[in-house]
Amino acid sequence: MTTTPDPRPAITSSDGGSALHGWRCGTCRHPMLWSSPRCPECGSDMRSERFGPGGTVWSSTVVRVAVPGRTPPYAMAYVDLDDGPRVLAHVAGPPQRLSVGARVTLTSPGPHGDVMVEEVR
Amino acid sequence: MDVALYGVGTSTSFAKQQDRHPNELVWQAVTEALAAAQTDPRSLDAVFLGTVFGAPGVAQRALHALGIVDVPIITLENACASGTTALHEAVTAVSMDRFDTVLALGVEKMTDQFAGAIHPESTDIEGRSGLALPSLYAMAATRYQALYGVTDIDLASVAVKNHGHAVHNPRAQYRTPHTVEEVLASRMIADPLTLMQCCPIADGAGAAVVGRRRPSRAEVVVRSTVLRSGGLWDHRSEHVWGYELIRRTAHAAYEEAGVGPEDVDVIECHDAFTIGEIVTSEALGFAAEGQGHELLRRGHTQLGGPQPINPSGGLLSRGHPLGATGLAQTAEIAWQLMGQAAGRQVEGARVGVVETMGGGVAGIDGNACVIVILEAVGA
Repeated sequence: MTTTPDPRPAITSSDGGSALHGWRCGTCRHPMLWSSPRCPECGSDMRSERFGPGGTVWSSTVVRVAVPGRTPPYAMAYVDLDDGPRVLAHVAGPPQRLSVGARVTLTSPGPHGDVMVEEVR
Repeated sequence: MDVALYGVGTSTSFAKQQDRHPNELVWQAVTEALAAAQTDPRSLDAVFLGTVFGAPGVAQRALHALGIVDVPIITLENACASGTTALHEAVTAVSMDRFDTVLALGVEKMTDQFAGAIHPESTDIEGRSGLALPSLYAMAATRYQALYGVTDIDLASVAVKNHGHAVHNPRAQYRTPHTVEEVLASRMIADPLTLMQCCPIADGAGAAVVGRRRPSRAEVVVRSTVLRSGGLWDHRSEHVWGYELIRRTAHAAYEEAGVGPEDVDVIECHDAFTIGEIVTSEALGFAAEGQGHELLRRGHTQLGGPQPINPSGGLLSRGHPLGATGLAQTAEIAWQLMGQAAGRQVEGARVGVVETMGGGVAGIDGNACVIVILEAVGA
């Protein structure tokens, strides 16, 4: 199922790795991955910012149930980007959970345009 | 709070009832509630309906056939907490003297909408990224396993306990007892949650007739009701999704009621997934954070234990007709407090808690949580 506009963050990939386009409050530095008219914490203006590529796994699962437009199984993780927001990402490689606290890095987007991470070993 | 539940009712079943019109589900619940309340449908002053996927006019379409016409009918949506939101609004309206006698109603025909797992809205990052709702709870389960040593067996124990309770609930969808081994051997849905740790979809309705307390009667009195939406859930959030919202809502509900967790005799809470009951039992104050699974290990929350949780079998056994769930939970607690719960009766239950938690919006730790504290009061 799709809607317009796509709510997922835009991803840029370069030699230095991938980054997510988001916003950061100019006053309290609160980071976000979706646009908002003002900072939800302090009400100040938000400025464009890029986040990544490094992050830490907050939690992880493998989706094994059918979701429209997707082919299970696939691994997903909530990742706290270094000095950035928490993002829901797909996990590259075999469909298995990542450990809580594992280090990951953003990769280029997945085939469905998803935010994608891989474990750093 | 000077408000009582005059009567409660539900659809006669919470099975997948594809061939049943939503009207029929509503008629069953409302007829039972009105009869229990000894209330004439024409004396109702207003109706609050909770539904998520109900067709436009779903309440009016069903209620005019019962003679409930010419009154305000207000439809509310709060995800899984839509039914308890309707109850909350009904109780609040009576307590503020807006109406005298109000019908709180919830209905959902899930089989018209879904064949399997619910997936969040595609207008949200989570929904668009392919996160089915079970996986949101699975993330909490993985986190609890890593931080607090919760085992697969602990998770399965919630399903075993609640399915054991449902054996005594003729309205539950699943009434067969299961072992830990059976629960863990069922198909994996979202690691570590297996199929039998996920509530089934269901079609059903629930209702409650709400009015001012009548001191001459023995009644189920509403000691407090609190409705909250979630706070920001982001990189700063240490707690799993939902915990903080339930904890804050519970704190307010206990304070308003003038009771604490230690005073509660029976609980119906949102066990949409096994981990949900563990987290909720902590957020409701029955165990410290990260210790909810200890309640299961000790038998504290099973029927016969000091504080049974989900004597009805919970959502895991009843099924989860989203808008109806909160009022089905409310009906169970009301029956428990009136001593009408037959084979699943919690002996001497006086104070009961209803908790419903609705989610799906990314960025906050829940769309809505409703907690209602009820007490059996003599004449």
